[in-house]
Amino acid sequence: MNAIEVENLRKEFKSYSSRSGLIGAFRDLFTRNYKIIRAVNDISFTVKQGEIVGYIGENGAGKSTTIKMLTGILTPTAGKVIVNGMNPHKEREKFVRTIGVVFGQRSQLWWDIAVQESFRLLKKVYRVSDEDYRQHMEHIIEALDIGPLLDKPVRKLSLGQRMRCELAAALIHNPPLLFLDEPTIGLDVLVKLKIRQFLKEINEKYNTTILLTTHDISDIEALCERVIMLDEGKIIYDGSLKRLKEKWGEGKQIQFTFAGEITFHALRELTNGLQVIWKKGEQDNVWTAQVPSALLPEVIGRVVARYSIQDMNINEISTEEIIRNIYEEGVVHG
Amino acid sequence: MFYVSIFFQYMAQYMKTKLQYRADLLVEFISDLMSQAVNLVFLLVVFGHTSLLHGWTRDEILFIYGFFLVPYAVFGAFFNLWDFNERYIVRGEMDRVLTRPVHSLFQIILERMELESLLGGVTGIIIMAYASARLSLSFHWYDILMFILFVLGGAFIYAGVFVSLATISFWSDARTSIMPMMYNISNYGRYPIDIYHRVIRYILTWILPFAFVGVYPASYFLGKKEWYGYAFFTPIMGVIFFGIAVVLWNAGVKRYRGAGN
Repeated sequence: MNAIEVENLRKEFKSYSSRSGLIGAFRDLFTRNYKIIRAVNDISFTVKQGEIVGYIGENGAGKSTTIKMLTGILTPTAGKVIVNGMNPHKEREKFVRTIGVVFGQRSQLWWDIAVQESFRLLKKVYRVSDEDYRQHMEHIIEALDIGPLLDKPVRKLSLGQRMRCELAAALIHNPPLLFLDEPTIGLDVLVKLKIRQFLKEINEKYNTTILLTTHDISDIEALCERVIMLDEGKIIYDGSLKRLKEKWGEGKQIQFTFAGEITFHALRELTNGLQVIWKKGEQDNVWTAQVPSALLPEVIGRVVARYSIQDMNINEISTEEIIRNIYEEGVVHG
Repeated sequence: MFYVSIFFQYMAQYMKTKLQYRADLLVEFISDLMSQAVNLVFLLVVFGHTSLLHGWTRDEILFIYGFFLVPYAVFGAFFNLWDFNERYIVRGEMDRVLTRPVHSLFQIILERMELESLLGGVTGIIIMAYASARLSLSFHWYDILMFILFVLGGAFIYAGVFVSLATISFWSDARTSIMPMMYNISNYGRYPIDIYHRVIRYILTWILPFAFVGVYPASYFLGKKEWYGYAFFTPIMGVIFFGIAVVLWNAGVKRYRGAGN
């Protein structure tokens, strides 16, 4: 069974722009200029039960809007959405009992009351029986190591502590589908690792489908077999992370530290005719070149012959780099 | 049944939270009492000079005021929607509400309840008791039921108007000053309706029916037979106006745009 089926999904927003000046403001009173913005532009995809899918894109690419349509918060302008066999916004109250949602930047818990009180309230809201709750939550509380936090009010928790409690809260009713919007934003490495490990565990144990958006590519690398990449409301890549890497990540990255100052033009001229992308590094006189593996000796040879080099590193191209390249160059074919 | 149990769950949580901040609770309590007292003194001062207003005596007007305070208190306790736009639309709290399996309006009512407001109702009952003693009114056993029915009707009329106004936020996220204005108009219902001009009287009866929150139902207890028809209409108006509000709300939720991150 498919957990998520999306066909030609579209969401348009009206965006009002105000005219300038006093006369403009006066005219705005009567007729306002607006343009229609397609935040999500006819996307289609399906997610099978038990998959972990990374949903990535730059700010404003339409990730949050898609998630909000999939969770029933927003009504689509056009297209078909079937999640857990239901139409999210039509049967909202019945539907949301089958999903868990974590918005990294927004708390699901009550600020002033102890964590376990929030859990108790959510347990009632989701109509979870005492027995199910005990069985299921004991395990989750242990796995996320939040036992000692339960009697503290949410406002006294650190971000990492709060996030773990948010995750637990989203799972109280043991939903078959979990939406995570930026779940690791602002967290330190240890908490990130713990959360990833936990997500993998519930995915294996309950076959929970997980759709997550993130800016942290290491989340995707650790969790997702499959990524869906979004740009300006359109899907530009949908497939396995491995294939993405093979297709775009072939080649190496060479980091040169030059002895003296150097210009982009000089470098480009130097490697003229070769398939090389030069980028300025963060330190002075540091430049990186992205080079297909076969051209590695040629490029190094040319650079070393011409300029004096203080240091040189050769690296694999990181997923982050790949994704950045894709965004810079546009649609992926294949 | 589910909704009743959820209601009590939220209420219990609310009490617990409030009891955590005991000092705040005391201050709130005292300031509430103060503002009630100021209102009362104002009324007494006005009526120190005139004892009769359009055929209404001082004590009758006091009684109306006392009655008005009760549905107003019930409304205030459960329909704190004055910052709905700011809190739920602009800050995007509505997202969270919409991911829970309980009707969104009901959740917001529960989240925003302020049971301290019910104290105003106690003040109202005391005022009514005082006024009715001076008027030597007599009551039947079923008047209690009528009282409850009128209070609920009045509270629902208020709720209907303010919920409808709150739904404007779904269509336009600009801040409007309608809410404060409406709070001012809503106070008109606590004075005898026939002191107003015909047009205003019509508005307060059928368009913004705040007269049903104060003067109409109170005249039932005062034995003013000419207003009985209106008085009995109070619960019906409550159902109609709240019903309209819920329909508007549901339509509004479909239009909800969400807040950007």
